[in-house]
Amino acid sequence: MGDGGREADVVVVGAGYAGLSAARRLVDAGLDVVVLEARGRVGGRVWSETTQAGALVDHGGQWIGPGQHHLQAWADELGVTTFPTFSDGANVEIRDGRRHLFTGLVPTSDREGSADAVAALLELDLLAQEVPPEEPWTHPDADALDRRTLGEWVVSEVGSPAARAMITTATLGVFGAEPCELSLLYALAYAHGGGSMSALLRTAGGAQERRFHGGAQQMAVRVAEALGDRVVLDAPVSSVRLEPGRVSVTADRTTPDGHRRPWRVDAARVVVAIPPATQGRIAFDPPLPGRREQLVQRSPMGSVTKVHAVYERPFWRDEGLSGQVVADAGALRLVFDDSPDDASHGVLMGFLAGHEDRILDGSGSAGRAAIALAELAAAFGPTAGSPLEVVEQHWSAEPFTRGGPVACLGPGVLTGCGPALREPVGPVHWAGTETAAAWSGYIDGAISSGLRAADEITAALGRPARQGA
Amino acid sequence: MSDVATAEELAEAYRDWRVRCNANPRLAKMLRGWDRTVHLVTSDTGEGYTLSVAGSVLGELRSGLVGAPDLVVTATSEDFTDLFWGDLNPSEKYLNGEIVLAGSSEDVMRLDAMSMVAFLDQ
Repeated sequence: MGDGGREADVVVVGAGYAGLSAARRLVDAGLDVVVLEARGRVGGRVWSETTQAGALVDHGGQWIGPGQHHLQAWADELGVTTFPTFSDGANVEIRDGRRHLFTGLVPTSDREGSADAVAALLELDLLAQEVPPEEPWTHPDADALDRRTLGEWVVSEVGSPAARAMITTATLGVFGAEPCELSLLYALAYAHGGGSMSALLRTAGGAQERRFHGGAQQMAVRVAEALGDRVVLDAPVSSVRLEPGRVSVTADRTTPDGHRRPWRVDAARVVVAIPPATQGRIAFDPPLPGRREQLVQRSPMGSVTKVHAVYERPFWRDEGLSGQVVADAGALRLVFDDSPDDASHGVLMGFLAGHEDRILDGSGSAGRAAIALAELAAAFGPTAGSPLEVVEQHWSAEPFTRGGPVACLGPGVLTGCGPALREPVGPVHWAGTETAAAWSGYIDGAISSGLRAADEITAALGRPARQGA
Repeated sequence: MSDVATAEELAEAYRDWRVRCNANPRLAKMLRGWDRTVHLVTSDTGEGYTLSVAGSVLGELRSGLVGAPDLVVTATSEDFTDLFWGDLNPSEKYLNGEIVLAGSSEDVMRLDAMSMVAFLDQ
């Protein structure tokens, strides 16, 4: 096919952790694989960058916690080490505009409200244990659970306004979405897939327990390096044509002279390993089944911006503060100490999520930074308002992810379209963290989804599946 | 090195905690339908204790490991005592691995939440 394309056994769309995981597994099985990546980098929603001030920040996924065995296996294999997320000292709670200090998971300024929030989390976690994350739609009460939003459940089950605010903050941090935007069934399945909602919220002992020396993207970079020229960057896929016995995938590839030209890969199978919201931008011919199309249309991404404020040093530690903030209102509802392990810089990272993220879209980077710094100064004093620099990643405006951290399914989607999440359509297989039962929305779920899709293909093509990560 | 609490000190602290827990309507709601036998094991002194939850009520602390436990909690004698006096946030100790819970995920979740609420309601 010359420079107009090539042939392969399998095309993988997307070089995030899911696509790379699938590609590696398929190559190990002896298959000829091409990975088409829209961006000029690999890693997808995981992107590490050194700022102008010299601090390494993770713009996207960055943590690893207990039970994330697939990601841990990659780290071990690639020699990437981790360190605990800094959490020594007191956390800051901002409630009704006032600053309080607390230790542990739950703010304590309103003890009634906090106790209500803990009781509600327990109720959610006990409900979640009954929802099978692999097939939530098979739960005996799936229809009822999927007809309600998490927000409706909170309104009916949680009396205290402070507790409601805490659960909203937690939801924004986990999903990048408001409780009213999420199906209760989806939220429960998601929580069970990561152990429990409490586990998703925790630093020590939870999903935010550890970070990676050198950033979370480097494992993707190293796997891509090993895959070599099988990984094609700057090649957003525009169409997938299904023909008898083969599939033709066309990308708008940027040539060395800077022009964009269609580049076609013909293969036996394709793994689509990009977020559902971006799958809708690929023209499938013939069109996908209606339920699959509906699933894609009804899987909007969460809304999140990660804001990093970089300082010469983590000055808040001198005052016995952990750097963590929980706020009941405002732009930054959750803040973490994101400083490097050697504390060579001080870095505070905040999530701007959900409705507030969308409202502040028009403010631009400078406007969002000003608001973020004012809130950091309220939590940590005036020094926090004068960082060396502020960097942000506004995922909602990122064309190849369109939001983050994960797709947020509203009422009726899982029971109506859930089986289409992973069900192959002819030679088209689906990967991506949204398709994972365990740790959906996390890097670990992305890796396992790629392995599952690869194993579907090796089974279909009669190749021996390889065990392991 | 941490201090060692005597069996009497631990039992006295538990008695006080039990009274407060059983008088807490929120905890009663959280314990509804959760009838369990819990073993407490002190990692420093090697003592064993048994407590039962039945009908949303915490029972008396018995010396020795009695019956088949649904849940086993291991901590130092001082941590148990401090926990019952409300001088220790069990979540932090649990997360740091200084308090170890062994049981079903539901039992661990319930005990974890219960201890957080008891702590918050101090």
